Amino acid sequence: MGMHIVGQLIELIDQVGCADDLTLAMIEICTTLGFQFFALTHHVDIASASASAIRLHNYPSRWADYYDGNALGVSDPVHRASHTTSAGFRWSHMAGMIPLTAADKRLLALGSEHGIGDGYTVPANVPGEALGSCSFANQAGRPLPEAMLPIAQLAGTFAFECARRLWSVRTIDGEEKAPVLTDRQRDCILWAARGKSDWEISRILGVSEETVAVHIRQGCERYGVNKRTLLAIRALFDGTLTFTDILRR
Amino acid sequence: MLHVLRFGARPVPDHVLRAMFAARKRVFIDLLHWDVPVVDDRFEVDQFDDQHARYLVLAEPGGRHLASTRLLPTTRPHILDSLYPQLCEGGPPRGDAIFEITRFLLDRDLSSRERRAVRDTLVMALVDHALAHQVTSYTAIAETGWLQQILAFGWRCRPLGLPTPIAGKTLGAIRIDITADTPALLARAGIAPLPGHGQDEPRVAA
Repeated sequence: MGMHIVGQLIELIDQVGCADDLTLAMIEICTTLGFQFFALTHHVDIASASASAIRLHNYPSRWADYYDGNALGVSDPVHRASHTTSAGFRWSHMAGMIPLTAADKRLLALGSEHGIGDGYTVPANVPGEALGSCSFANQAGRPLPEAMLPIAQLAGTFAFECARRLWSVRTIDGEEKAPVLTDRQRDCILWAARGKSDWEISRILGVSEETVAVHIRQGCERYGVNKRTLLAIRALFDGTLTFTDILRR
Repeated sequence: MLHVLRFGARPVPDHVLRAMFAARKRVFIDLLHWDVPVVDDRFEVDQFDDQHARYLVLAEPGGRHLASTRLLPTTRPHILDSLYPQLCEGGPPRGDAIFEITRFLLDRDLSSRERRAVRDTLVMALVDHALAHQVTSYTAIAETGWLQQILAFGWRCRPLGLPTPIAGKTLGAIRIDITADTPALLARAGIAPLPGHGQDEPRVAA
């Protein structure tokens, strides 16, 4: 029974040829599963992101304008929670997944005032690309269709892949060639990401403090950033560094 | 160098298989903490590693293991039908032309830059192998996070059942259909195998 519906929804997604088709398909998927709203999105600041960032939704426009105007795509607690799991989750369970700040709670309350109540988010993460997700939601007071959530998980995953193809998502730098660090630059930024100073790194690697500073500065130049924090984040983002590298030991 | 191997067949480049079983232990047991058997404290070998299993192994000429996967015939006991039948709503697909992909593995020692190219090479090797041996579909079990990545390879995938929470993970079964246009679909999705590892020069060792 469940897979019969999944088959139909995937057929629908397969026939999508443009973003407008995908919007229509998502609205039909929402109707079939018992949701009112959907959002397919990369977790970036949409106002400043490149055109290759995925963004498709049918949220009330007043809410969407407020959301974009305040660059909430980056700090949204739903997005943050989706970075801690690979399985779909209910928004009402978020407090058990990530620490919710006072601002998060205000955001959720405000969303509710704008007509967005509880939701279900399917994380959609492809290594080397911006993190993303597919969310389904209902207005406040309308419960989530419990029995349909596993179907929503699959539909969200296939819908996000469809969006990736439409947007021709490749890497975080689009078609440009990704920067490559030397092994030494990578070592230095790895230790910097672990919180070591240039002097400490120089002791660990057995080189001079000046050499460490030069490696890090040149690494920054390769990525076109001017702070070591940004360099570490970019290197994490494209897989030059991994969280395991930084956190182990 | 791509090795296509069978367990117990002759001649077997023993060091290639040993390196693979050792790499499997380092990933599936040491890193992922799977509850699977260990042999000699060094090798991960289970009940499906027998003469019916096929292996695709990418190794450097000196024998360093890069990546590998195991293919199980679906006409015999395999993981989906033996251990996780609940993942397939209509029962696990079986047939001479259907193999199950298991133990897909990138070596832990690969740098993050190597991983992508090695992964792409093994994915393309799976497709080349299917086309060369009349395999029309693969089945596989994937954690939900992996599924997004498997779809992103560009080939045609279909879920076989609903995602199911099992032992703290959400698992799903999929079928991947391989046809003559699959290599082009992968290329369009950006899958770029390492030069020299393509189908033009596979080393068939057994």
